[in-house]
Amino acid sequence: MTDWPAAFEAELLRLGVQPGRARRLADETTQQAAETAGAPGEVFGPAHLYARHLVAELSAPAAAPGRTRFEAGPVMLSLAGVGKRYRRQTVFSGVDLTVRGGEVAAIVGANGCGKSTLLRICAGLTRPSAGTVKRTPRVGLVPQDGGTAGWLTAEEHFTLFGSAAGLVSGRARSTGVHLATRLAWRPARQQRAQQMSGGTRQKLNLVLGELHAPDLLLLDEPYQGFDQGTYVDFWQQVFAWRDAGRAIVVVTHLLHDLQNVDHVLDLGER
Amino acid sequence: MTTLVVASLSAREVGRRWVALALVVALPFWFYLVRRDATGQSLRMLTLGIGWAISTLTLFVVNASRGVDPRLRLTGASVISIIGGRLLAMTGVGVGLALGYWVLTVVDQEVRHPWAAALMMLLSAVVAAPFGSLIGALLPRELEGALALLSVVAVQMLADPAGLTAKLMPFWSTREVGTYAVDGGPTTMVWHGLAHAGATWLLCAGATLAIFHWRLRLVRYPEP
Repeated sequence: MTDWPAAFEAELLRLGVQPGRARRLADETTQQAAETAGAPGEVFGPAHLYARHLVAELSAPAAAPGRTRFEAGPVMLSLAGVGKRYRRQTVFSGVDLTVRGGEVAAIVGANGCGKSTLLRICAGLTRPSAGTVKRTPRVGLVPQDGGTAGWLTAEEHFTLFGSAAGLVSGRARSTGVHLATRLAWRPARQQRAQQMSGGTRQKLNLVLGELHAPDLLLLDEPYQGFDQGTYVDFWQQVFAWRDAGRAIVVVTHLLHDLQNVDHVLDLGER
Repeated sequence: MTTLVVASLSAREVGRRWVALALVVALPFWFYLVRRDATGQSLRMLTLGIGWAISTLTLFVVNASRGVDPRLRLTGASVISIIGGRLLAMTGVGVGLALGYWVLTVVDQEVRHPWAAALMMLLSAVVAAPFGSLIGALLPRELEGALALLSVVAVQMLADPAGLTAKLMPFWSTREVGTYAVDGGPTTMVWHGLAHAGATWLLCAGATLAIFHWRLRLVRYPEP
């Protein structure tokens, strides 16, 4: 079982993946398995089969056979030739992506390739150096970390973000609590954000991103700290949003998530 | 609406930081206690302590909100409601602190013009909130911000009050009004103090708003 990463990398190479990329995919996959405290073979199955599965997913991400799908709606986000440079360093360039209502897109790539930066560009928090962005005005952002006030409770967060969206306090709180129950979370009245576990704080982050019913949800690795059950709940929630006609863009490094999405944008390949 | 919610929740946040709050409340008291034997010096030190405490607390509140602010903007809040709400809360905390210490000084000291002493402490608190915000806007890390505040207060404390350096410092107004409150003199001193405090408030609040307008700006994209 200890040869699993090597067998996986060898199979990727045999399937035509570039050596550097094959090494990176092998490292990431091993890391993911370590995060679930399991051996890669137990988590992903035989190395050669998972390698074939992954290559198929990366090369034909739009296909999602066997699943009942709804008609894709209007375009919610459109990126054309988008690039970002900091001084003389190009983070990424020539990014094209179109996401319609009822679709899920994943942004993948190595650490530091600009996934979060691209998400901030989509949100409008960072200006692109090149290219065109068109986007629906109602957007919700769930950052990778931070984004909450440590000394406030969940209900106070709902009040704060609700008021920013024009909701009265009572409605914002009841909406927030309702959305939280979908993630199998019942916010404790007196518990402050800084006293929450990492996973619970991410649930709060998710609810805050969704509180004002945005048409486009931008999620930056939103499942940090989730246990297995919550992780499944999270993806069910993503599908519920999708089926309700929303567009979702999710930054992820978990490669087995890709089978669930309509588009994959790999910044690592650029 | 959003301004009031931000103000109320910011005040609640500060109220929960018991240790920080206790230190903030105590800080001007130590300044006062050291020179309690001299009315003028004790009042001036106390007032400077109030300014330092409130500006430092505001700095921490501004820094603690750094991750929340962009999300609030995306959700629909305006910059002025976010910054205004926070300023309102911290000014309220400062006014409460100033009034408490004013009662102490009126009871404990012989002050020639007690109303001017109250004005001096209120000015210190009111100027401190936007000053702390401005330092927080310019210096995003707490340590750097706290050191900058320490430098300003030290210069304010040591500079000759009649000299240009002292007048360029944010709390010069309290010294001017304080001199009138303790030693008496022409009422023009009070007006000079009020004018200096007003100008400082406008400068600090305006600069804070301008910086956060730039930092929290959202790119306006056309719809698909």
